[in-house]
Amino acid sequence: MSQDPNVLIGEMIAAGNERISVARDEVNRPMIHHLCDAMEETNPIYLDPEAARAAGHPDVVAPPSALQVWNMINPSDPEIESDVDRAYAHLAECGYPKVVAVNCDQEYDRYLVPGDLLTASEKVESFVGPKQTGLGEGYFITTLTTYTDQQGDRVGTMRFRTLWYNPEKRNS
Amino acid sequence: MSTVDTAARAGQLTAEQVQAGEALPELRIPITATLIVTGAIATRDFQKVHHDKDVAQAAGTPNVFMNILTTNALVNRYVGEWAGPAARVGRINIRLGATNFPGDEMVFTGTVDSVDGENVVVKVVGTNSLGPHVTGTVDIVIPSKGESA
Repeated sequence: MSQDPNVLIGEMIAAGNERISVARDEVNRPMIHHLCDAMEETNPIYLDPEAARAAGHPDVVAPPSALQVWNMINPSDPEIESDVDRAYAHLAECGYPKVVAVNCDQEYDRYLVPGDLLTASEKVESFVGPKQTGLGEGYFITTLTTYTDQQGDRVGTMRFRTLWYNPEKRNS
Repeated sequence: MSTVDTAARAGQLTAEQVQAGEALPELRIPITATLIVTGAIATRDFQKVHHDKDVAQAAGTPNVFMNILTTNALVNRYVGEWAGPAARVGRINIRLGATNFPGDEMVFTGTVDSVDGENVVVKVVGTNSLGPHVTGTVDIVIPSKGESA
């Protein structure tokens, strides 16, 4: 296999097609409680409406790092074909079947409160390679997910970078 | 380099108290199967490698391992405990490294990288027995004295 993944993935980046998903549930207290319980998080702005208001929030807020949580794929949902999935599948087909997450960069425009309903729009943003890495030859692909609220206003973004590599193509 | 008074954990730091170069108090987090599994499910990540040891081993890893959303949440917690409830996190930018497996311990250390008025950038590293699990920066707004109640 010596197909150059830059061709197809370059076309995807130029086209900019997004996978759009609406969260099944609004941001809500029970899930905020689950998050805090699991992480042993005790910041009162997540748990106590009065403390949240004292810190200038309208209500309890979700931990900002939970931005991605509300639009996670439900296990029973049918697979949706998107350019991001097609790009990942294409890298495997081109001979780079192993994947490792490299970077996750989240930026927050505002804190989320119960009742917020998020829409996530995900696309392939950038692509580099082939590069020699410690794991083998591979390609770095970055996706950009933009999160908007029920008013259509942006509440945050996430850039997620993975390395797709071939462990057999490794410089010794 | 001075370590910030841990009293700040219970209260609120003000921007005036923060100086570039100072260290955050260390936070040690035992990596247990419970943390990994409850963290994955609470973040709605149902990938089996994060909760089913047999599946994780079949995939070639020794055990279940921590998902990225839990790592993000713990970075958020670490910086938030230091800065206090009035602080606002604007960005968490992490690089991922050595996997977190049950039975290990992750030790968070941090340094204030820059202070510009109320805008503070903190460098964070979470290290386990295999090496750095997470390395990153957190942008956080810490209110100045006049603003905090």
